[in-house]
Amino acid sequence: MLRLRWVRAALSGAAVAVVAIAVAVAAPTFPKLTGRVVDDAHLLSPAATTRITGWLEGFEAATRRQVVVVTVPSLQGTPIEDFGYQLGRTWGIGERDKNTGALLIVAPVERAVRIEVGYGLEGELTDAVSRAIIEQAILPAFRLNDYERGISDGTAALLRILGWNGAPGPTVTVPPADPLGNIAPFVFLAIFIVLVMLRSRGRGGMFLPLMLLSSAGGHRNRGGPSFGGGGGSFGGGGASGHW
Amino acid sequence: MIGTTILRARVLALLAVATLTLSACGVNNVPRYDESAKAAWSEVLNQYQRRADLIPNLVETVRGYAKQEQTTLTAVVEARAKATQMQIPADILTNPEAFKQFQANQANLGSALARLLVVTEQYPDLKSNQGFLSLQSQLEGTENRITVARRDYIAAVQVYNTELRTIPGRWIAGLFYPDAKVMETFTISAQAQEAPKVQF
Repeated sequence: MLRLRWVRAALSGAAVAVVAIAVAVAAPTFPKLTGRVVDDAHLLSPAATTRITGWLEGFEAATRRQVVVVTVPSLQGTPIEDFGYQLGRTWGIGERDKNTGALLIVAPVERAVRIEVGYGLEGELTDAVSRAIIEQAILPAFRLNDYERGISDGTAALLRILGWNGAPGPTVTVPPADPLGNIAPFVFLAIFIVLVMLRSRGRGGMFLPLMLLSSAGGHRNRGGPSFGGGGGSFGGGGASGHW
Repeated sequence: MIGTTILRARVLALLAVATLTLSACGVNNVPRYDESAKAAWSEVLNQYQRRADLIPNLVETVRGYAKQEQTTLTAVVEARAKATQMQIPADILTNPEAFKQFQANQANLGSALARLLVVTEQYPDLKSNQGFLSLQSQLEGTENRITVARRDYIAAVQVYNTELRTIPGRWIAGLFYPDAKVMETFTISAQAQEAPKVQF
């Protein structure tokens, strides 16, 4: 009887281990956060990288929000929606308790682009607005294989929607207001604060130094190695496009 | 007099040691994981609600362009009614029948919606309508958020259930939290795996 119980305990332990491994395998390998522009697919010239990095630095200095542009050579078989929110969480883009981060992700091999929006920006950068930016500012250039212009125009439009006018680019016609988008962020924020409070009990002290580092690194060229995420989180908001 | 003081000090010291040992071996893990699983669950509910809120507008817009799709539209309206009218019991997370019912209703609504969106592909006027495009992108975004919320919930429940089922969490729960029960989690239903069929 006792032995049976041990066998059962061992089996359930093994089952848990298997599930844990399955979950670990499902997550793709993410690129390193080397700066505000992570061009692992080599779609941008050095000049464009420097220019866009400058915008993103100016944007963060003015609004405390973080936007990162990332191009990847492969999505590793993951849908870009799954890849995007996990990447955002892994890097922790955006202010910690406000989740004010966004990513522009380009996967040229899969011909997929996505604007991934942190919880805290979902009210301004709604799914419909994200779709409009992709359709109007990014895809036309991508269809002509002009990745640099698509990324540059898309980033500029995105920053303008988020209240920063320092980047020149085409105007995007924003679709009619989304009544849900106005309430939803507050609900998300409330739930999220609870979640963060629950989680943060275990690991204090890590984020303040990180945040200080990231704000101190604001004026170095190319974002430098000192750029880091502020600890924001993502819940699948945004839009994707294909060409 | 001195005797009682020493005794009291000893009891206090013992209590302090016991508290420290208990918290070190995770006596608070059960309620902590319980709370995070519940928070993840409210996010799931929240996203399903958001989807339900988008549907009336979507149905009205599609109806304006595609009156002949009455059956598909009615199916969506009915599935939505069934999903939103379900009384969600307070113990849904530990109540397998209610949880299964909830999941079935939402999956049903999901596939009715997917069918509707497939049908709309045949109406170019509808597809170029700005309002429709906006609704469609919001719906896609909401489906994506539902996926994320469900996945976060599954992960949170996995942590909680593992704590309840393994030692020492199992002993701790037996001692301090006898009411703690393993929670239900999402399974991928056969219905959800099936691609929506289109009839011409």
